[in-house]
Amino acid sequence: MTAPTDRDLIVRARRGDGGAFSELVTRYQTSVFNVCYRILHERGEAEDLAQETFIRAYNRLDQFDLEREFGPWVRRVAANLCLNHLESQKITAPLDEDRDADESVRPEKQVEARERSEQIRVALASLPPNYRVVVELRHYQELSYDEIAAELKIPLSDVKSHLFRARKLLAEKLHAPD
Amino acid sequence: MHLTDDQLNEYLDNEIADRAHIESHLDSCGECAARLIALQTLFAELDSLPELELTHSLASRITLHATSSPQLPRWLTLTATLQTALALIALIVAAPFVMNLLPAIEMPSFTEFLIQLQSQWITLFTTITNYRVASLWDQLPAFSLPPLQIPTLTLSLALAFASLLWLVGNGLLLRRQIK
Repeated sequence: MTAPTDRDLIVRARRGDGGAFSELVTRYQTSVFNVCYRILHERGEAEDLAQETFIRAYNRLDQFDLEREFGPWVRRVAANLCLNHLESQKITAPLDEDRDADESVRPEKQVEARERSEQIRVALASLPPNYRVVVELRHYQELSYDEIAAELKIPLSDVKSHLFRARKLLAEKLHAPD
Repeated sequence: MHLTDDQLNEYLDNEIADRAHIESHLDSCGECAARLIALQTLFAELDSLPELELTHSLASRITLHATSSPQLPRWLTLTATLQTALALIALIVAAPFVMNLLPAIEMPSFTEFLIQLQSQWITLFTTITNYRVASLWDQLPAFSLPPLQIPTLTLSLALAFASLLWLVGNGLLLRRQIK
C-alpha cells in the first residue's frame, strides 16, 4: 500500500483526523526544526518554535491552498515565526555562551567538519534577525528575490540589500585570516 | 571597470538578465573572477551545513495540542456567529414585549402545569393509538388532533429558555475560535 500524499493527509486533518496531522508533523519536523535552529542557534528555542510552527500551521490548515506544497509552506511559516520571535526579543547582540556548542569527542576529520559547521552557525546567528531570515529563505528554501519580498512583505530593494550585506558579513567572519 | 558586488550576487542567484555580459567580463578580469570564487565558496559553505536530528519527536506533543482545539469549518463559524447576532437582536427586540406581558398574565403553578401537560399528553397518545393504519387514509379528512392548550406565557418562556440554551451552546462552540 502506498503512503498517503501530503494532500490526502491535509484533507484528513481538516476533518479532524489527529493521526493524519501527526503524520505530517513526522514528515516535516526535522526540516522545520533545522530552519528554526539555523536562525536561532539554540536547540530548546528551536524546538519550541518548531512546535509553534506546526500548531500555527494546523490552525491555518483551512486556508492552505491544496495546490501548493506543504513542506516549503510550513518552512516559510517557521522562518517568519523565528523572525517575529527574534524581533520581539530584540536579540541583535553577539552570541552569548548559552548558545549551543558541540563538545562531543569525535575523530579528527569529523571534529574539523563539525567545528566548521559550528563556525558557520555562529556566524549566521550573529547576523541581524532580518538578514538571517533572508539568508534562510534564499539559501535553504531557495526562494527568488520576488518570493522573499512577498513572503516578508518588504520591498525588493530591501531583500537585495539585506542578502548582500549578510553575505558580506558572513564572508568577513568566515574567511577572515586567523 | 569592475563588476559590482550586487552584479556578482545577482549572477550567482540567477537573478540577472544579462548573464553574457557578466561572463565576458569575468573571462577577462582576474580580480572579479576571484571575487566570484570567494562568493561561490561562501555559498558552498552555507549549503554544506548538515541537517540536525531532533532529540525527540514533536508529533505527539503537537497532536495533543492540536486535537484539544478542534478546527471548525469556516462556514460553520460564520453561520454560527451570524445566528448568534440575529438571536441577540431578536432577544433585544422582544424583551420589552415580554416585560409587558409578565405582570398581566397569571402564572400557573409548576404542579398545575405538569398535570395539564400530562393530561394533554395522555389524550394525544390515546388518539394516536386509536387510529388504524389501514383506515387512516379514509379518515384523514375528519382527522384532527386535539389542540394543545399551552398558555402564551408558558410558550414565551419556553421559547426564551430555548433561545438562551441555544445561545449558550453557540457560545461554548465558538469559545475556542474567539480566543
